[in-house]
Amino acid sequence: MNTGLLPAIAWAVAAAVAAAPPAPAAPDLARLSLQNDLLQKQVELAKGKEFYLLLDPRAQTLTLMFRAALLQQYRVGSIEVGVPRVVYRPRADASNWEGRIWEKGALDPARALDRVEVQAPPPTKEGTEIEIKVPQTPEEKYPVPARYHIRFAGGLSIEVRPPNSESVRGFWARAGANLATWWADAKAASRIEPTDTVRLHVVLSKQDAESLYRALPPDTKLLVLPQL
Amino acid sequence: MHEAMTPHRGVSIVIKAPGRKSRVGLTAVGLALVALAMFAGRGTGYAYGPPALQSGLAAPDLPTDPQATRKLQAKLVAQNKQFGAALQKLAPSGTYVVVDQTQNRLYVMNDDKIVRTAVCSAGSGMVLKSSSGSKKWVFDTPRGVFKVRNKIANPIWKKPDWAFAEEGKTLPTNPEDRFESGTLGKYALYLEDGYMIHGTLYTRLLGRSVTHGCIRLGPEDLQAVWDAVPIGTSVYIF
Repeated sequence: MNTGLLPAIAWAVAAAVAAAPPAPAAPDLARLSLQNDLLQKQVELAKGKEFYLLLDPRAQTLTLMFRAALLQQYRVGSIEVGVPRVVYRPRADASNWEGRIWEKGALDPARALDRVEVQAPPPTKEGTEIEIKVPQTPEEKYPVPARYHIRFAGGLSIEVRPPNSESVRGFWARAGANLATWWADAKAASRIEPTDTVRLHVVLSKQDAESLYRALPPDTKLLVLPQL
Repeated sequence: MHEAMTPHRGVSIVIKAPGRKSRVGLTAVGLALVALAMFAGRGTGYAYGPPALQSGLAAPDLPTDPQATRKLQAKLVAQNKQFGAALQKLAPSGTYVVVDQTQNRLYVMNDDKIVRTAVCSAGSGMVLKSSSGSKKWVFDTPRGVFKVRNKIANPIWKKPDWAFAEEGKTLPTNPEDRFESGTLGKYALYLEDGYMIHGTLYTRLLGRSVTHGCIRLGPEDLQAVWDAVPIGTSVYIF
């Protein structure tokens, strides 16, 4: 065997090894795979006929979308995850809520739609115009509670509250509101099936919280984007 | 024997007032119960905490062989591009219009940025029944996405049946009597199913849900929308 070939072969092997890109790290692949999963879900939502919310805890935004079009974006002050518990004992598993499509979002308390029915007068040649009252403004028509939920089928709910600084003022008013909140939460958590298995406490400015309440279309879907 | 077991009239049961020691004991028990109830109450309800990073998301099964890993990476990168492109294709690009029909606001958008906000009027949600009761009209603005099909300056309104019913007038026998000019303002942008974005004579009612389903705008905003929105633009109503 020609001994001069050995260094050449060794060099070629070394070069081939060096040329091959390093195998990707497992966390990178996992992240890419999850990203794809999320993109696929967003495509699925964008192809659907329902409105949907995208909650992005990292960007601190709650976005109302339809067919991939941004309709409204709300700045989120803070997000907390709540799990029901009774005497410090958790009653639900608070995992597996991110990166999943939640359906049939509905406001609680519901935004009442009071349809007015009007009977047309019997027709005459000259006409007798019916009197239609000036309707209320949206602010008058839909009063917004200080705290409300958007409940999705399957047990997730978004609890929307304004920041403390914008909520009820005065010691007694605040104490009363806190007690009422505690009582409602204790009741919800103590039911045989807790009202919400996971609750996302989202703080929006008072203006945004009111706007979201008045504008949310029925049967909205939700995707919470995980912090990859 | 029988008499002794039956309580007699006029026999009173005397409960002795607890002594000092007993009072202290009862108070202590009461306080302990209150403390216990407060402790239990504090731990009942919803416990909040910050959202965890990547909580609850399962990572895919990854191969151990470097070559297979590289193949998987290539596949995932290709998928990523494919989904990204699909999402981009579905999203509107450039100018589009968003109408918040509950709050009576119209937004002209450009690539997810609001370029103009206008106060508008959307459907009243009212139900009008004809005098005979045989017909019913619901004045809702529909939710969804629509395209601007046509743009007309100085539009003439062809009054539908409900407009006559509302005014208590008989339906005209001459079709010419249905046409009315000036009512729709200077411009009309025709969407689908007879819905329009148009002007109004009743600018004082802007911001309130008063229309029969169309979107009404004030003259300045209508001019801006007319200038910014070409035929084919998507209008998203929610």
